[in-house]
Amino acid sequence: MTRTNIALLVLIACVAALPLFGDAYAMRLGTMACMYAIFALSWNIVGGFAGYPSFATAAFFGLGAYTTGILMNKGVPLSVSLLGALVLCLVLAAALGAVLLRLRGHYFAIASLSLVEVFRELVNNATDLTGGGMGLNIPLVSGSSVLSDATFFFYAMWGLLLLTALVVIAVSASKLGFGLNCIRQNETASNMVGLNSTLHKAVAFGLSACFVGAAGGLYAAWVHYIDPSDVFDILYSVKPIVMALMGGLGSPLGVVCGAFVYLGLEEVVWRNYIQIHSGVLGVLIILLLLFLPHGLISLHASKIWRGLFGRKAKHV
Amino acid sequence: MLAIQVLINALVLGCLYACIAIGFSLVWGVLNVINLIHGSFIVLGAYLAWGAYNALGLSPWYSLLIAAPSFFVFGYLLQRLLLNRVITAPVLVTLTLTFGLDLILNNAMIYYFKADYRKLILNPPTGSVSIFDVVVPVDRLIATASALALTFLLYLLLRRSKVGRAIVAVRLDRDAAVLMGVNVKSIYAVAFGLGAALAGCAGVLMALIFPISPLTSSAYLGKAFVVCVLGGLGSVSGALAGGLLLALVEGVGSVYLGPAHAVTLSFVLLIIFLVVRPQGLLGRKGFE
Amino acid sequence: MFHPRLVLAALSASFLLAAAGLGATSSVASAQDVIRFGAPLPITGPLAPEAVKQQQGYDLWAEQANKAGGINVGGKKYKVEIVYSDYQSNTPRSVQTTEQMITQDKVNFMFGPFGSGAAKAASTIAEKYKVPMLAATASSSQVYDQNYKYLFGTFTPNDTLTTPLTKLVKAKATDVKKVAILARNDLFPLAIAQEMEKSAKENGLEVVYFEKYAINTLDHSATLSQIKSLAPQWVFITGYTNDLLLIRKQMVDQQMKAGVVTMIAGPAYQEFIDSAGATAENISSASWWHPAEKYDGKDIFGSTANFVKLFKDKYKLEPDYAHASAAVCGALFQMAIEKAGSLDRDKVRDELAKMDVVTFWGPVKFGANGQINSLEPPVFQIQAGKPVVLFPDAIKQGDFKLGVN
Repeated sequence: MTRTNIALLVLIACVAALPLFGDAYAMRLGTMACMYAIFALSWNIVGGFAGYPSFATAAFFGLGAYTTGILMNKGVPLSVSLLGALVLCLVLAAALGAVLLRLRGHYFAIASLSLVEVFRELVNNATDLTGGGMGLNIPLVSGSSVLSDATFFFYAMWGLLLLTALVVIAVSASKLGFGLNCIRQNETASNMVGLNSTLHKAVAFGLSACFVGAAGGLYAAWVHYIDPSDVFDILYSVKPIVMALMGGLGSPLGVVCGAFVYLGLEEVVWRNYIQIHSGVLGVLIILLLLFLPHGLISLHASKIWRGLFGRKAKHV
Repeated sequence: MLAIQVLINALVLGCLYACIAIGFSLVWGVLNVINLIHGSFIVLGAYLAWGAYNALGLSPWYSLLIAAPSFFVFGYLLQRLLLNRVITAPVLVTLTLTFGLDLILNNAMIYYFKADYRKLILNPPTGSVSIFDVVVPVDRLIATASALALTFLLYLLLRRSKVGRAIVAVRLDRDAAVLMGVNVKSIYAVAFGLGAALAGCAGVLMALIFPISPLTSSAYLGKAFVVCVLGGLGSVSGALAGGLLLALVEGVGSVYLGPAHAVTLSFVLLIIFLVVRPQGLLGRKGFE
Repeated sequence: MFHPRLVLAALSASFLLAAAGLGATSSVASAQDVIRFGAPLPITGPLAPEAVKQQQGYDLWAEQANKAGGINVGGKKYKVEIVYSDYQSNTPRSVQTTEQMITQDKVNFMFGPFGSGAAKAASTIAEKYKVPMLAATASSSQVYDQNYKYLFGTFTPNDTLTTPLTKLVKAKATDVKKVAILARNDLFPLAIAQEMEKSAKENGLEVVYFEKYAINTLDHSATLSQIKSLAPQWVFITGYTNDLLLIRKQMVDQQMKAGVVTMIAGPAYQEFIDSAGATAENISSASWWHPAEKYDGKDIFGSTANFVKLFKDKYKLEPDYAHASAAVCGALFQMAIEKAGSLDRDKVRDELAKMDVVTFWGPVKFGANGQINSLEPPVFQIQAGKPVVLFPDAIKQGDFKLGVN
């Protein structure tokens, strides 16, 4: 295990101490922070390791939310529903990945973006199952006091984050991670030396979707009400990318830091600039891309970037 | 009768879709940038037409003459000052940058114009023409004709002018164009400016047909995406083919499956096209 | 490659930011004699136009209340302060912002977010913290089915709009046999379309078309051509103002004619009438309130006419039901607080529960589930560019006109 990975686990462990200090609202933010970190880590598997610009996060987030919501409405307990969402997203994403990841560059970006639209409209039109545009109510899980409820969901999300981080660390150290790295650097060459790139990419896409799906499920149980335009919001696809760019593409520690900083920024901007917060967010994104294009991690580790993108990015 | 009516509707709508998409296609094709501000540009153009008509009494035809140069300058500067700095960066970076720009422009429009919907109402209204029960609205016909004229102008520009030839050259082979002495950065800016001008003009025309609000920008952008993929990138005829196909699929889909499924259908079609025929109906292969 | 400094920097950065955020909002909370009301609104995103209306309503009430010296709580006057927040038309965000307002901004009372979906979601939080919440724009009975103690709403259920409408059409337009219904696939528009289908069937009308269209649909021409080919005498369309303007325009384009065309909820809004121009003629609709109503209220606004005048003076436009509902929510809070003589949330909640009073909005009395059950929503029609009330008879301004071209 590398030292950055240890640092990542230490950081996550620190987050677990939040309930000692915070009230219910801080816990809500903490839960969001864990969720964002799951997004960023998951996205990083496909976007960072394999170098494919995926916009599918929202698709699997929504799918997981709806799977869990529907199962829970049928009386299935939360834990089983979450597992169902996780497995469904894993299998479906792997299958879709095998097809869609043949596309490169912009074409893959558009295809993954369209996945969000397709899933949203399918859910929207399956009114009998999902309630369509009327949304879906999810039964309360604990129904106990404010704080214990908040604590429960915080730790559930945190646990999922830990699981995600462990899997991502395992992937990065494994043959799979090595294969993805090769694919990013030169897919054609990887194929020629006998790497089954389709299998690698499919597994990577599945892994990047399953935890997002489970997070979606937890989220649904947490907010008790979901509707298609909320959970299939394209912003859920864009945010992890911004987080990853903020923290440093490809590095698990970087993207998690990016996720936390992003949440902090979002919170401050949103609170203080009611009428113009999305504009301010836009300005921040642009400043970031222009002046800190390699993320926070580049502040100390410009070498990593060179390692990752040493081969001067080909004009795609 | 219904079938003919639906076909005619699709034909007219298809040209409008092409008009929405053409600037987006140009920018994507030449600069390899997925320009997410495109939808907001269209809306801004629509506001321009609306404001000019209501405040100054200018008919939308004159607004076209204002929109084209002003949007060109706006787009040119945006590319020169901002986008050119990251133009060689990976897809993600340029895309996220235009996303940020879109957030700003859209928020600014909500701030200044408010989010409520406006409508440009021509006085007197243009009405519709009907031949044997098949009805075609005149404003759509006018917008279609103007859209076709604009597309033709672009085609001429790309074929006949020096700048146009340079744009095509950069599109086909950037490195070779550089060797031939083309100033790529400036060509990028011109192409982006042209894309913006086309979006602004499209907006002026759309103002005749659709309600105007910053919130419609995502709908325009979505159409542009689908049209480009279906038709093929960067070519004028591709946008037209894509627009017609999309309008036809939507029209037939909403009659036989219900209007709610039309959108699903168009995006499923998009994914199928991406996988099976990524170059689109009329595009050439190997454009990556 | 271990960068403890980086981790530290990132952590402290986010904490600093969070602290900055908290500091910025809590600084306003210190003033003593102020009552704070939380108002989460969809200031950005697809519902943004609705947010403007609600905000105007709240602001007008706050201005009037403060002009009169404030709210009288057991002899002491408290100024009104409304804390706004943007939940970006995103329902979960409205839940989050509600919790933030209660725990961080320390608001005394809550207004509900826009619409039924968000109000339902946010009411869970209000219930958890036992904060009275008045929802200005939630009509679906599912919102109130939860039997929450702290949630109250000023809209009657959806069927109170469709039933009188159907009865009126049935009575005045006897040749109406076939109805076509087209609904936006979204909580309120879809729910009201389903009520319409039910009430059409109950009244012996044939529903020849019932479809929903996706949010963000730009072109309805194929759908409308199909409806036209079915030749319904009554076309019933739901959606928000933009959808309805778009559909109305395309109906004209397709030269679609029908005896009765009903649209909900756009025609109640002045901007629909302005934007649709002559094509708005004879469109019928129903809403929860209308400026032509003549109530003599006991609230701060007094009569309906006075409310309309104050509103026009401030905003230079005719108020619609969304403006009025927001304003009456403020006025109701004020009455409940003054009656309770205390800022105690439970006491104010009890006053709201037993409220039975006439306001400029109409008689206000909440059912056991918290939803108002004392209103009789008006049916109206656009005639000569003006909304004309057709029902109830007490405030009737004209007769139902058939034929929409």
